[in-house]
Amino acid sequence: MKKISRRKFVEGTSAGIVAVAAIPAVEAQQKQTPASAVNPSVPRTTIKLSVNGVDHRLEVEDRWTLVELLRDHLELTGTKIGCDRGECGACTVLVDGTPLYSCSQLAVWMNGCSIQTVEGLAKNGKLDPLQEAFIEHDAPQCGYCTSGQLMIAKALLMKNARPTRDEVRTAMTGNLCRCSNYNHYVEAVMAVGGKA
Amino acid sequence: MRSFSNINPKDLKEAAGILRQKGQTATLVGGGSDALGMVKERLITPDVLVSLKTIRGLDRVTEKGGEVVIGGLITLDALSRDPLIRKNYNVLAEAAGHVGTPQIRNAGTLAGNVCQRPWCWYYRNGFPCYKNGGNTCFSITGENEFHAIFGGGPSFIVHPSDTAVALVALDAKFRIVGAAGERTISAADFFKLPAENPARENVLANDEVLAEIHLPAAKNAARSTYHKEMDREAWTHAVVSVAVVMEMDGQVCKSARVVLGGVAPIPWRVPKVEAMLAGKRITAELAAQAGSAAVEGARPLAKNQYKVPLTQAVVKQTIVTLGA
Amino acid sequence: MTPLKTVGHGTHRVDALQRVTGAAKYTSDIHLPGMLYARVLRSPHPHARIRKIDVSKAMALPGVKAILTHANCDITWSSGDQLNQRRLFNNPVRFAGDPVAAIAAVDRHVAEDATYLIEVDYEVLPFLTDVEEALKPGAVVIHEGGNLSLNNQRQPAPQTYKRGNVADGLKAADHVFEDNFTSAHHNNAQLEMRVSIAAWSGDKLTVHAATQGIANCRTDIARDLKLNVDNVRVISEYMGGGFGNKNQCQDSDLMAAMLAKQAGAPVKLEFTRKEDFVAVHGRWSSRQSYKAGVKNDGTLTAIQMTALTGAGAYRKGSCDLSGTEIYQVPNLETSVSPVYTNTAVAANYRAPAYPQGVFGIESLMDDVAYALKMDPVEFRLKNMTRKFRDQTPYTSIGLEDCIRRGAEKFEWKKRWKPEAGSGTGPVKRGAGMAMGMFGSGLGRSSAVVRLDGQGQYHLYVGVTDIGTAAKTTMGLIAAEELGVPLEKVTVVWGDTDTCPYSVGESGSRTTVQTGMAVIEAVRDLKKQIADKGTPQGTDVLTAMATTNPPPLQGASRNSFAAHFAEVEVNIETGHVIVTRFVSAHDSGRVVNPLTAQSQVQGGAIQGIGMALHEELLYDKRSGQPLNAGYYGARIMTHLDAPLVDVVWVETDEPYGPFGAKTLGEPTIIPTVAAVANAVYNAIGRRVKSLPITRDKILGVLA
Repeated sequence: MKKISRRKFVEGTSAGIVAVAAIPAVEAQQKQTPASAVNPSVPRTTIKLSVNGVDHRLEVEDRWTLVELLRDHLELTGTKIGCDRGECGACTVLVDGTPLYSCSQLAVWMNGCSIQTVEGLAKNGKLDPLQEAFIEHDAPQCGYCTSGQLMIAKALLMKNARPTRDEVRTAMTGNLCRCSNYNHYVEAVMAVGGKA
Repeated sequence: MRSFSNINPKDLKEAAGILRQKGQTATLVGGGSDALGMVKERLITPDVLVSLKTIRGLDRVTEKGGEVVIGGLITLDALSRDPLIRKNYNVLAEAAGHVGTPQIRNAGTLAGNVCQRPWCWYYRNGFPCYKNGGNTCFSITGENEFHAIFGGGPSFIVHPSDTAVALVALDAKFRIVGAAGERTISAADFFKLPAENPARENVLANDEVLAEIHLPAAKNAARSTYHKEMDREAWTHAVVSVAVVMEMDGQVCKSARVVLGGVAPIPWRVPKVEAMLAGKRITAELAAQAGSAAVEGARPLAKNQYKVPLTQAVVKQTIVTLGA
Repeated sequence: MTPLKTVGHGTHRVDALQRVTGAAKYTSDIHLPGMLYARVLRSPHPHARIRKIDVSKAMALPGVKAILTHANCDITWSSGDQLNQRRLFNNPVRFAGDPVAAIAAVDRHVAEDATYLIEVDYEVLPFLTDVEEALKPGAVVIHEGGNLSLNNQRQPAPQTYKRGNVADGLKAADHVFEDNFTSAHHNNAQLEMRVSIAAWSGDKLTVHAATQGIANCRTDIARDLKLNVDNVRVISEYMGGGFGNKNQCQDSDLMAAMLAKQAGAPVKLEFTRKEDFVAVHGRWSSRQSYKAGVKNDGTLTAIQMTALTGAGAYRKGSCDLSGTEIYQVPNLETSVSPVYTNTAVAANYRAPAYPQGVFGIESLMDDVAYALKMDPVEFRLKNMTRKFRDQTPYTSIGLEDCIRRGAEKFEWKKRWKPEAGSGTGPVKRGAGMAMGMFGSGLGRSSAVVRLDGQGQYHLYVGVTDIGTAAKTTMGLIAAEELGVPLEKVTVVWGDTDTCPYSVGESGSRTTVQTGMAVIEAVRDLKKQIADKGTPQGTDVLTAMATTNPPPLQGASRNSFAAHFAEVEVNIETGHVIVTRFVSAHDSGRVVNPLTAQSQVQGGAIQGIGMALHEELLYDKRSGQPLNAGYYGARIMTHLDAPLVDVVWVETDEPYGPFGAKTLGEPTIIPTVAAVANAVYNAIGRRVKSLPITRDKILGVLA
């Protein structure tokens, strides 16, 4: 089995640290042993993709979802799984700029794609204005849906820099918050609208 | 998830060939949201996923000799924003825009939505019902609040697709690519009542793929809309929906097509309502009569009687709004 | 109330940066070297005896490392049932979802595959899904002693409360009202699914738990696994919500520990979202019957309430009902009987006994007000509680101000219509309100504070912060007492090895109980500083405190709230939307208005979902849940959520840290009733069962 390139991963991590100097570094963790390591008949495919600007060439099991690849094999645990069925939105990431539920896409389908996760929002050591506004307006309560809310809001503002309140609510409808902090989430996005 | 391999055929013909070769062990995937959920729940246990994601050219809207051709792999989001569709076939843009959530519409395809399996909770929970290869429908004496009031028997599922309702209202034609060749049939003939085959919702054979949707040339002064009632403000299938297409001459409706969603195992056309509207000026009274006519012959189950007045109201309100 | 320097000012969370960058490590984000992944096999039958389990095929699957069943793992999960012995793996199984086996394997796919290879021979038993069926003679018995569960004194009798004499009260009344209300089992549905990671090092067990209380979780694990408590470490740094279903220790913690022991490797056990709905717990359902007597002038003379509550298959929660205490009434009797059925277990969910009870009593009181042609606001001002149980004075009470100021903010006079159901057109507007209260007791907690030689304070508190901003709250309280800015206080939390006991984050107790310990510890530190001077270089000063104030004598400490809702109801389609909402709260001094506002807005929006959408539905013939999960539960989305205006009524409270009272749970208590009363005002018909779905609205209008 071809393992995920250690060199690529190190590059990825260090790039991340440089980019987010002001932010606590995500600890590197040992990867899990995939089923294919004990059972060679499990189908696998080699794909190329870019995650937060870092290119990867890696072998994935065909059944891995994108969120599994990100969390369990690329150590990008900022993206959360709240339902694994496309019913909550916690796993929202941008694929070639488009917000998708990463639990509902297979990693093997991402060949040639560029993925952006919450870990890639801050640039050159500076938080994204959305991240700042989320802090300012106390958008996260438990925080488990926050990465998804950030990514869907980012996608909205890339297309529509000055959304109305209802446009924000409509765009973010596919992201549940059970703490139900919807008011503060919308307030935070509205505060950035026009500035991002 | 149970292990499977992913195959990326280069075109639909090849996809259909793989489906023929693999039979029941293969599953076709468009956007992936629903198919992956079913694999995770082990409602289906494919050895092979036939992904259409790498096929190019079937994701756009084109005009061809008066007809409009929509590739089956267009995303619901792209369809809902397409300027031509919004201008001349608003009902379809609105229906596509009401599916799921932005993320689902970014992944989900038109063909996938049209061919979506039912969301009946007995089926989705793996009960051995008609849809799961069994020989009963658990809803008949069970929890049937969301089940059919028209066209039920022996299965009482409701068709889950929003776009299917709009496409029947637009008198669309479906081009189907199979391993053995191609065929084109009307949207209305595509969907099949459970009385014909309770295990399936449409005519697609195991080795066939819905390739394209053809819409007839837009008529002058045609207007159309899709109204969907949900039990939260978004992200559910229709409790009841209605697609209305009216060809207008001033304030007079020259002809109309009215199709209901959420009430039957297929998009449910109401010809009586269409006949009532043809040649008439749209008034509140006429709309109210149309609402009543829409629910004639409804046969509700124990817990879905509310769908009768709901359908009646939705038809009335939608016709009034569109005719105004 | 005297303004303070730090407390009372809106302050960002101390861990906000981690929460918006993805750096916060929740339990599911942790990966230990060599860690295995685990899945649970659950009973497909609502009631069955296991004759035989054959795990040989599963064990033979490459990558499977350990399997637990009732045959090789006889561990009692003591916080899973207060009355009966509930094991990790029970035989018989008592609900569809009762655990049968747990499997650890190299990855989650292999573990899941293995669940399909375990062969279980079940003797299927008769089952029950309905509480009234369960009490019929000859009904199948779910636990020894019958389906009527014991009361909280462990007697085979209902839980009762009585004052005065209801018969006399009803006789003295000019009008007697009687009605029945029901509420449904619905789920906490926090975004983070249940997950536990266990790792052994010799005799020492470390559990990364998604828990609302690391200290209680630790003592529970030690008790159930018969370990010395010093040999158990529980860590929970970030927690993705719980609303009461992650109190104490969970069966997943114990299963992960036993799997890790058998496999000789760390194990991460993950539940799926469906399991979280079916196999953890939700709020108990209720069937409530009321009688109320009232004078012509609107004075209440008597209230009687009898209720059945749905415990599900085990008695994990109190299954009690509250609500009547918000009224002043000389004669009151309540009787609540928890009942077993073969359905999902019911236990704590945000103010466990309240929103459903308040829905019942506040619906009835609304009817009384309309019948007497009184404004519901005036009726409540007349009859609201003035003393706890009409007897014990409150330490502080801002309920009247909550009602008056809330009504003003809501523009009640403009929005409420005296004739319910009036108005033209299919879309009717209506306004409703309701009140609520919640205990805010004092109790035991601890804190440690250290000053280092660089002038930085380090506060050690055993909180996990379930989304309430508890870490920040503790930091603010310390900073205020120290007289330093918050930046000078580093808060350390979430690890039983480094943090002292803190009351679990349940019962909305942390701010008050741990907050008081923080103040005591800081006072001690200040004394030490005064005695010894500030430490220099590598020196430190450390102070610790355990506060355990005795229960108040002759006074009751409570938080209060009044909620106001405006709805639009389409009487032809049954569609309902909440268009305006005001929550007015007396929680004493508000420590952090920014995060407290999040709590209040969130509680109200969650409550609207309970009022309008949520119910875990069962197929009666098979005993199977039908709509487990977010799609089925119709959880509130961005588009369902109205803007919630918050009114603070900050009473001068003599007890608690700077006069703070309880907040988290009261935020949902009056919500459901306020929405229900608004629907009544809109359409002039009352829906008496939760949730208020369109079929019921069209039903009452038909």
